[in-house]
Amino acid sequence: MIQIENLTKVYQTKDRDVIGVDNVSLTINEGEIFGIVGYSGAGKSSLLRCINLLERPTDGRILVDGLDLMSLDANNLRKARLKIGMIFQHFHLISQKTVAENISFALRAAATPAKDIDKRVEELLNMVDLADKKDVFPAQLSGGQKQRVGIARALANDPSVLLCDEATSALDPNTTSSILKLLKKINRELNITIVLITHEMNVVKEICDRMAIMQDGSVVESGNVYDIFSTPKNELTKTFIKDVVNIDVPEEMLQKCTGQIVKITFRGEVAGESVISDMIQTFDVKGNFLHGLIEYIQERPLGMFVMEMKGDKTEIGKAIDYMSSQLVDVEVIRDAI
Amino acid sequence: MLFDMDRIMELLPEMTQAFGETIYMIGIALLVALIIGLPLGIILFVTDKGLFLENKPIKSVLGFVVNVIRSIPFIILMVAITPFTKLVVGNSIGPTAASVALSVAAIPFFARIVETSLREIDKGVIEAAIAVGATPWMIIKDVLIPEAKSSIIQGITLTVISLVAYSAMAGFVGGGGIGDLAIRFGYYRYDNTIMILTVVILLLLVQIFQWIGDKAAKAVDKS
Repeated sequence: MIQIENLTKVYQTKDRDVIGVDNVSLTINEGEIFGIVGYSGAGKSSLLRCINLLERPTDGRILVDGLDLMSLDANNLRKARLKIGMIFQHFHLISQKTVAENISFALRAAATPAKDIDKRVEELLNMVDLADKKDVFPAQLSGGQKQRVGIARALANDPSVLLCDEATSALDPNTTSSILKLLKKINRELNITIVLITHEMNVVKEICDRMAIMQDGSVVESGNVYDIFSTPKNELTKTFIKDVVNIDVPEEMLQKCTGQIVKITFRGEVAGESVISDMIQTFDVKGNFLHGLIEYIQERPLGMFVMEMKGDKTEIGKAIDYMSSQLVDVEVIRDAI
Repeated sequence: MLFDMDRIMELLPEMTQAFGETIYMIGIALLVALIIGLPLGIILFVTDKGLFLENKPIKSVLGFVVNVIRSIPFIILMVAITPFTKLVVGNSIGPTAASVALSVAAIPFFARIVETSLREIDKGVIEAAIAVGATPWMIIKDVLIPEAKSSIIQGITLTVISLVAYSAMAGFVGGGGIGDLAIRFGYYRYDNTIMILTVVILLLLVQIFQWIGDKAAKAVDKS
């Protein structure tokens, strides 16, 4: 669907070159929601803006639907952009035009016959739940409503791809969640591939299928969202994941414990709690939960617990082996004191 | 007596004519500034670096011409372009001739104001229009002009007020209008009544234009 090949973007400033995107290759599949995460300055925004050539890459190739965008002349690039919708953090609506006019602007860009425009605007407004705001100016809308107009505008010409540039970063949590639901609906019902960039892991957890983490212009880790949440490899990835699944036990608490501290991770359908209760019944060990949570990522549970285990050292060893054999990840954080 | 009513009545026909001439000169110059200065200002903006019709040669040449004209004081410009004025309107004296010089001065003045107004537009809005696949003409017509409309109206006000000042200067070289009246009676004949009256008229004129401009700018702004 979208192929990014060896993309590099260098910004020339007065005294030096700054590398925005450093040799990134990514493939985004048709119909998926792909999240790109990173702190500000990591290059994620540059990367996204290179996908529809709002910024021209210094080097590399971008293929959308098999079309090599960088080989197109101005007019054909314009036509290709009709099929690549984009929404923005600050919405970027034409402030002096009504909601309907903002949407019809996109339709006119695709030379939609005048007689079809009103009907299509109506359809789009119904899709984003704003039918009653047709003749209102953007200044009278809330942030969430403005973003809905932005989405309607982006979808006007039936794009195959929707690019979201921090689309929920300026919104409150409730509005964010309703916009994410709308994006998911668009993805599932219209089969539109979505690429979004964000610094909020919650957004990724909520709707993404696959993700990439960026740092200093490079992708440091990428893959299925569930896999990355359950087994992050990169340090930065781990830091990001702590935003959503943080099971750090306060230091003071740890000092009070004398037993062995282990972190237990359950993935997917493994019935975690029963493995632990079986373990406690089978082996001569005492378990004491210090922390724990179960998150649902892509509708699959991910359980994480921190437990203090007390008892004979060899019994604890056997208990850990048992849990490992039941497809449970056990990581010793600290040995018994 | 400072304010001589009889004197005012005596000169009323001349004053009415002078007032008419001033309005006539400003009107023509404003019209020309709108017709040529507005597109010129838009070209200056859209050909700038990083914009959707980036074009360095055009931007540099136009920018240079605009700067040259703007750097010449109006009173000198008026005299300097006399041959051109003769070419266009056939003579170099009178309100019509003065309106040529006023137009030449007003075009680059207004063009820069338009350019500045466009520069105030949030770049993101232009970018969103590009991302949507809009043509350059659509971006100019449906994004740039509507978004800068209120600011451009304020720019028109500013241009008109500058033209009031310039038109008074035109009086010095026989251009007619209120300035001419002030020079002939107020300056050469020490007629204070006329002098003060012209000042009052100019002051009222500027106030009225400013008031209309502010109202109009506010009325069109939807943000």
